[in-house]
Amino acid sequence: MRSHTYLQDIIFYTTQCLTQSAGLLLQLPQSVTAQANVLLARFWLIEPMLSYEFSDTSAATLYLTAKLSSHPVSVRDICNAYTYLWSDSSPLFRRQPSPQQQPPEPTAYTPTDSQKTSFHNRLLSLEARILYTLGFDTHVALPHPLAITYLQALEFFNHSKSEIGSLTIKYLNTALLSPQMLYLTHQPNALAVAAVYNAARDLGAKMPDTSWWEVFDCDREELGFLVVGMRSLEGWVGKMREDGKGVWEEGMVRRKDVEGEMTRRGLLRGNGDKAVDEEEEMARLMDERMATMEAQS
Amino acid sequence: MASSVTPFVDPETGAPTSPRSFAIVHQRPRGSFMGCSKIHDYDILGKLGEGTFGEVHRARSRKTGALVALKKIIMHSEKDGFPITALREIKLLKLLSHPNVLRLEDMAVEHPPKVEKRNRPIMYMVTPYMDHDLSGLLDNPSVQFTVPQIKCYLQQLLEGLRYLHDNHILHRDMKAANLLINNKGILQIADFGLARLYDGQTPMPGHGGGIGKRDYTGLVVTRWYRPPELLMYLKKYTTAIDMWGVGCVFGEMLVGKPILTGESDLHQLELIFDLCGTPTDDNMPGHKELPLYKDLHPRPRPGNLPQRFREFGSGAVSLLRELLKLDWKSRINAHDALQHPYFRNAPLPAAPGEIPTFEESHEFDRRKFHDRKAALPPAPKGGTVGRGVVNGNTGPNSGFEPDGYGGRNGANGSRYPRNGLPPPGERRPAWQRDHGHRDLPPRPPPPQNYSNGWDGAEYSDSYRDRDRDRPPRGGIRGGHRDAAPIDTYIPSYDRERDGGGGRREPPRDDRRRHDWDDSRRHDRRWGGEHDDRMRSSRTRSRSRSPIRDRDSHRDRDYRRG
Ligand SMILES: Nc1ncnc2c1ncn2[C@@H]1O[C@H](COP(=O)(O)OP(=O)(O)O)[C@@H](O)[C@H]1O
Ligand SMILES: [Mg+2]
Repeated sequence: MRSHTYLQDIIFYTTQCLTQSAGLLLQLPQSVTAQANVLLARFWLIEPMLSYEFSDTSAATLYLTAKLSSHPVSVRDICNAYTYLWSDSSPLFRRQPSPQQQPPEPTAYTPTDSQKTSFHNRLLSLEARILYTLGFDTHVALPHPLAITYLQALEFFNHSKSEIGSLTIKYLNTALLSPQMLYLTHQPNALAVAAVYNAARDLGAKMPDTSWWEVFDCDREELGFLVVGMRSLEGWVGKMREDGKGVWEEGMVRRKDVEGEMTRRGLLRGNGDKAVDEEEEMARLMDERMATMEAQS
Repeated sequence: MASSVTPFVDPETGAPTSPRSFAIVHQRPRGSFMGCSKIHDYDILGKLGEGTFGEVHRARSRKTGALVALKKIIMHSEKDGFPITALREIKLLKLLSHPNVLRLEDMAVEHPPKVEKRNRPIMYMVTPYMDHDLSGLLDNPSVQFTVPQIKCYLQQLLEGLRYLHDNHILHRDMKAANLLINNKGILQIADFGLARLYDGQTPMPGHGGGIGKRDYTGLVVTRWYRPPELLMYLKKYTTAIDMWGVGCVFGEMLVGKPILTGESDLHQLELIFDLCGTPTDDNMPGHKELPLYKDLHPRPRPGNLPQRFREFGSGAVSLLRELLKLDWKSRINAHDALQHPYFRNAPLPAAPGEIPTFEESHEFDRRKFHDRKAALPPAPKGGTVGRGVVNGNTGPNSGFEPDGYGGRNGANGSRYPRNGLPPPGERRPAWQRDHGHRDLPPRPPPPQNYSNGWDGAEYSDSYRDRDRDRPPRGGIRGGHRDAAPIDTYIPSYDRERDGGGGRREPPRDDRRRHDWDDSRRHDRRWGGEHDDRMRSSRTRSRSRSPIRDRDSHRDRDYRRG
């Protein structure tokens, strides 16, 4: 069965991956990129996804988060990174190029002056929009340091903590990408506990016999929900690639592809008009549709 | 695992649901959401500042009828977007909640007319309106502070500061103009434009300010309130820098005007030595290691504080001496100052409600009392406070008090270039104009770079340590210092939570930074020329100087524009 919200989910997942890729290119610490992921999720909880190009929204949240951190990036660097990731040369969501293939010409992913100017303007007006939408709540508490602390407090008899630790961090980073928006619905302590649990279980580490998660203020039910949520992303992404045919083929998902697909499916009576108000209207329409369909299911 | 493809199930009903609607349902309740208002939610009643501070307006909320102050966030730097200093101030204020700390109630947005193409919204910070700032109040000739009143204000100042310091916050701009007072006798600490999180040990009773753990930028605190260790370039400073400011404010309340009004940084040090004595191994251990000390050759003298403040009694003198100690390590902390006998001896501190009310006064209305406008002194010699950083390896301090360290300019020209002057006719930042206006000292430039400003992961750990579930409008609670980090954006999820108290947490020392932060940075998956280009641009900007010119420039632009 195809998820009703698969379009939104694809947009969410691919854009979060884009943010992560840009974070790598810009050599930002994961603590910064992860906060950008969370801000983006907050923003999209309120602002319709189709209001802006997805990659612009990703760029603006990353720019803003980096600015607040000790690793600021310039608009120019952000522009270069996103132009590259958006270009046909980008390996993001593309099959591996064959080894013989020539590397792409730099001109293929170098922004022109007018592209730079227009990117700059879009970035800054989106920044203001994001701040406004979030009510300036830019503070993000991440679970990663907590997870490490918890690990140190726990005894795993047969396993090295560093192995469990790195898998724990992987679970936490993966959860950032999940359209389930676990970071918006659960507190960092619960996310940390679930990640530790998953990592220990994967490695066959022997966990304490007690209900140790309660020590970290997470109850069994919440842990169960998160454990399943965190483990499911991988299988779900595979399925999404199937479902997403027509929208998400090669490279980053673009707004116009999504709009095209929605029109095809009768979710939009789109005429390709790009006025922002109309897009908001479309997105709202889409949300309403989804809600009705969900109610019926 | 069979369930692996359909996680989007409501945990209560078991019904499938969209992840997004799940999140929407479970997000923080809207009622407690502190979003932004529109400027039309307020009736603007008039400007409080006249360009000296940027713009602060008095306004009335249409929703609640309350009087508020609207501080406009000046967007000078078109190219970098929302000013970083303002972002930090807002972020910080949103985490704070204490009766003696100014509350950020709201953010208001004003959309410029649609005709302009690049129309970015103008943002205002909304705080409760306070009738006076302490500087303005002291300058009102019809106001005479009584001792109980001074004790009452000082006590509140110390309470507010104790809260800030306990929560790892350095204010870094203590001065009378940043202390607001209302006609109910309540004092609140304002202006967090230079504040930052503090990485070191919070002050412990009986142990002064302790020892600094890491470097911070020295370009903080307005000169007249700047402590000797900062004037001598100590980088690992502590919460004790704010305590010195309290001493200056205390003295100012006693005598009615600022007590240490240096005309340059060197002069400021001379005035401090006049008052507190010259450094010795006894009164200021470690002073010989301070970078500037070897260039100083002060005429040895004992300090005249007891004589100068004799008329205010031994209690006042004793507390003032504790606050104005040269030795930053043993300078009294807020906690201990509140225990000082000064507050227990007669006359006792007034209750805030007992203090008479005054005609409103702010720093900028000083003209109301003295017609000083006509008599503005010429701009200081250099006239360049904090400006003039252009590019290359100039420090943030270039042009900052060019008359202050004449000798040093030669010795270290790359840090303090002589030519760091702004082009003629360039707008001066307000904190420089301060100087002309009522002889205020120049305010320091704001934190000049990111790495010295608000740090990344390690430091944000301590940030998160302080972060916990908040009452609707948020804030750090007093008392529960050991609560677990909570994402304040998240509602407590489908069950009652204990609101942050009583959570267990392993000792702080366990909380080391893990390599999760950096491990990815070495991943070269993206390889290629593009990557190299980026890397080198980054290295370049790092190696140039500890200061990022662009940023410092921008910060200043916003701050003092
Ligand atoms: N809430 C307020 N109520 C009344 N006056 C205020 C308020 N906030 C600021 N002001 C006035 O504006 C001045 C400047 O505000 P401040 O926050 O210190 O900004 P700046 O960073 O420009 O110094 C203060 O000294 C005070 O006189
Ligand atoms: Mg101020």
